[in-house]
Amino acid sequence: MTAQATTPSAAAHAGGSYLEHGRGLRSWLLTFDHKRIGLMYLGAIVLFVLLGGVFALALRLNLWSPGGGLVSNDAYNKLFTLHGAVMIFLFVIPGIPAALGNFVVPLQLGAKDLAFPRVNLLSFWLFVGGAIFFVGTLVVGGIDTGWTLYPPYSLEESRGLGILLALSGVFLLGFSSILTGVNFIATIHRMRAPGMGWFDLPLFLWALYATGIIQIIATPVLGITVALGFMERVFHLGLFMPEYGGDPVLFQHFFWFYSHPAVYIMILPAMGIVSEVVSVFSRKPIFGYRFIAMSSIAIAVIGFLVWGHHMFVSGQSAWASLIFSFLTLLVAIPSAIKTFNWLATMYKGAIVLATPMIYVLTFFAIFGVGGLTGLFLGTLATDVPLHDTYFVVAHFHFVMVGAVMTAFLAGLHYWWPKMTGRMYDERIGSLSAWVTFLGFNLTFIPQFFAGVAGMPRRYATYAAQFTGHNRLSTLGAFILASGLLVALYGLLASLRTGRRAPANPWGAASLEWSAASPPSFHNFDEDPRGVRPYDFGGLVHVSDEAGWVREGAR
Amino acid sequence: VTRPPLEAVHALLAGAPGFMPARASSAAAGVDQVFAFIFWVSAFFLALIVALTVVFVVRYRRRPGRTEAEVTPDHDNRLELLWSIIPLALVMGMFVMSTRAYLHLTQPEGSTSPPLKVSVTGKRWSWWFDHPNGKGAPELHLVKDRPTELVLASTDVIHSLYVPEFRLKQDAVPGRFTRMIFTPTLAGTYPILCTEYCGTDHSRMLAQVVVHPDQPSYDAWAREGLEAGASLVEIGKKVFAQRGCAACHSLDGTRRVGPTVKGIWGHQVKLADGTTVKVDEEYLRESILKPAAKVVAGFPNVMPPAALPERDLQGIVAYLQSLGETP
Repeated sequence: MTAQATTPSAAAHAGGSYLEHGRGLRSWLLTFDHKRIGLMYLGAIVLFVLLGGVFALALRLNLWSPGGGLVSNDAYNKLFTLHGAVMIFLFVIPGIPAALGNFVVPLQLGAKDLAFPRVNLLSFWLFVGGAIFFVGTLVVGGIDTGWTLYPPYSLEESRGLGILLALSGVFLLGFSSILTGVNFIATIHRMRAPGMGWFDLPLFLWALYATGIIQIIATPVLGITVALGFMERVFHLGLFMPEYGGDPVLFQHFFWFYSHPAVYIMILPAMGIVSEVVSVFSRKPIFGYRFIAMSSIAIAVIGFLVWGHHMFVSGQSAWASLIFSFLTLLVAIPSAIKTFNWLATMYKGAIVLATPMIYVLTFFAIFGVGGLTGLFLGTLATDVPLHDTYFVVAHFHFVMVGAVMTAFLAGLHYWWPKMTGRMYDERIGSLSAWVTFLGFNLTFIPQFFAGVAGMPRRYATYAAQFTGHNRLSTLGAFILASGLLVALYGLLASLRTGRRAPANPWGAASLEWSAASPPSFHNFDEDPRGVRPYDFGGLVHVSDEAGWVREGAR
Repeated sequence: VTRPPLEAVHALLAGAPGFMPARASSAAAGVDQVFAFIFWVSAFFLALIVALTVVFVVRYRRRPGRTEAEVTPDHDNRLELLWSIIPLALVMGMFVMSTRAYLHLTQPEGSTSPPLKVSVTGKRWSWWFDHPNGKGAPELHLVKDRPTELVLASTDVIHSLYVPEFRLKQDAVPGRFTRMIFTPTLAGTYPILCTEYCGTDHSRMLAQVVVHPDQPSYDAWAREGLEAGASLVEIGKKVFAQRGCAACHSLDGTRRVGPTVKGIWGHQVKLADGTTVKVDEEYLRESILKPAAKVVAGFPNVMPPAALPERDLQGIVAYLQSLGETP
């Protein structure tokens, strides 16, 4: 145990934390420090969530009445395209790995930094570059293709310059994501603390390792696809456009070969956070470590083989559809293993209802609904009527917004003291968790019913029978937004008024909690040795100021 | 009135939960049965997850007198295998049920009356339906209990034809034909919606399908009013003549440079590479756009590709079909 951990006074190490190491803008923008890069990602991602959220509220307001009316159909189509593209490419995909992962990975490994710090900085700036292209798309009037960019619609001349900027943006963002994946995989292989075997890794790292595999195998296909789309539009190669001799369904295959595994790029890190939090706040070792670790890898592998379930009604052969349906349903098994293992971890625990744990408890319900409704869409017969209706919208929001954002907020609150050295206010944190949960369900549960009754997605106007569904949804969206603003307020307020955080405020056992809060520039003052990440034996709560200390620590 | 539990379970599985649209096609009952099965399995597991979460939080909450967790095993392979195998068995059950329903809804069933074949064209932002007697209309007319085959095409971008009451949906993809086979089972008028995003007025690309209670009612509709423009067969006949197709492809069975088009519809033809292919919409489209792809055995590969517009392709297909199927 380091000296800081037993020293409640933050002043003792204030001079040495990574936040004070180097001053001025340059020391941030050109830093190789994984912790600062993580914080910069976090700042950028929060900005984009706010942007995407404003688009979402505008959409919901327009859907208050069946005839629309707030904005034109064209404007509505641009809004939902930008809402989807910004949320997916600039928040959900990079969110947990790039912001939280960047900060946490080396700390959990007991390392000084990632394996390739310069590559890490490059990946951040590629992300910024991609984001600038997206903003450029907005400046030239936006695009109305949907985030899925299906040709022929997306590659028609009349889509203008916006689509070329968007394709370029996605290309850069793809590279950013690949580099993050490469970095994490190399780091987890090569930079584990002495004595830390593969099965001593915290499960968050197993999740990010599985994510890294998907990032480096699937994301290049996205890059190639958008590059081909760009060339098709400019040089008329005849790949995707029937008028030049191409096949639009080919694009769908390429696109989903990336974009379905991308769903697991989003959800696997979320599951990793849940595994950490549920164990720490139940004060019990995670139940079935190996099954959880291996189920992350299983999801990554099976996830490559299911893309065709997005194309059941595209005209692909019945046999292809049957095989894709079969493989898709298999994803249910590793997901079920994880869920029951999390629940078993809570069994006979000593459950602490701190904010991260409340978020995780709501995650169980939300991921339950999101995962189980996936069965309706993976099953061929029921997908035919449900495909491209609001049922799909509700399903993927449950997985991508509900589950991923809830886990992101759980992780953010969990590691916030480590990142900033400040404790957030528990009352504000738990209030935000419950308001978010309420608003989320009110927004998206009615959409399942609208979808089953036959309301298609991407509709600026709709039949009067769906008015009730849509109004509930709109009300819910504003409650959801206020929940998120409460969370943001609580975290930002803690920077001014929050109590100083001890090294180990939660009594967690993994290595990042043996570094100071916030850590020094080099993370650890002496090289740590591997520990068993879920062994809470001997950890004793000294006081709120001093946090938890391991008995008999050196 | 109380129902015995088994009867209630049976009713739940046979019927859908009460928030679904009417069932108006041969596909609907099978789809709803699969839906109900997944619905109740999901409801059970969701209830289980939520109940366990709540019970554990209430019972095992950290409080004075319960500061530490009890010691329990940190894994149990048999238990974990159990909760791997039960979901596996359930999803395999879903797959089997779904496959039966899906094959039923994609394959035409044995029926006495010939199928009603309608050519469907999606374009921004409307649908057009060419019915077999040559009547084109902006709405689809079908007959209750008469097998139906829709052949979908698009003149611009991808659209998707969706009728919630039929539980069916099929994309219309430019550059190819797609197909939807079913039998309407309930007379009435139902909405047709476009479910593949296609631009500005995607949400207003609406039409309706009228399922007539019997054939005479349909026939009366088919006779009434003016025909909107030329029928597909007429278009095809005209294009066939204008393009000079008959120079190589005779209409009367005579052998010329290319094979005759008389009575080839539905026929299996032998190709130069030894395989056989059935003459259908897709084969004819390919043979016009890419003649070298599948050359009939015994004929030279000399036909130039003809880049016909979508409407003309549909016309040629309808025209060749009108020349009669294999006797």
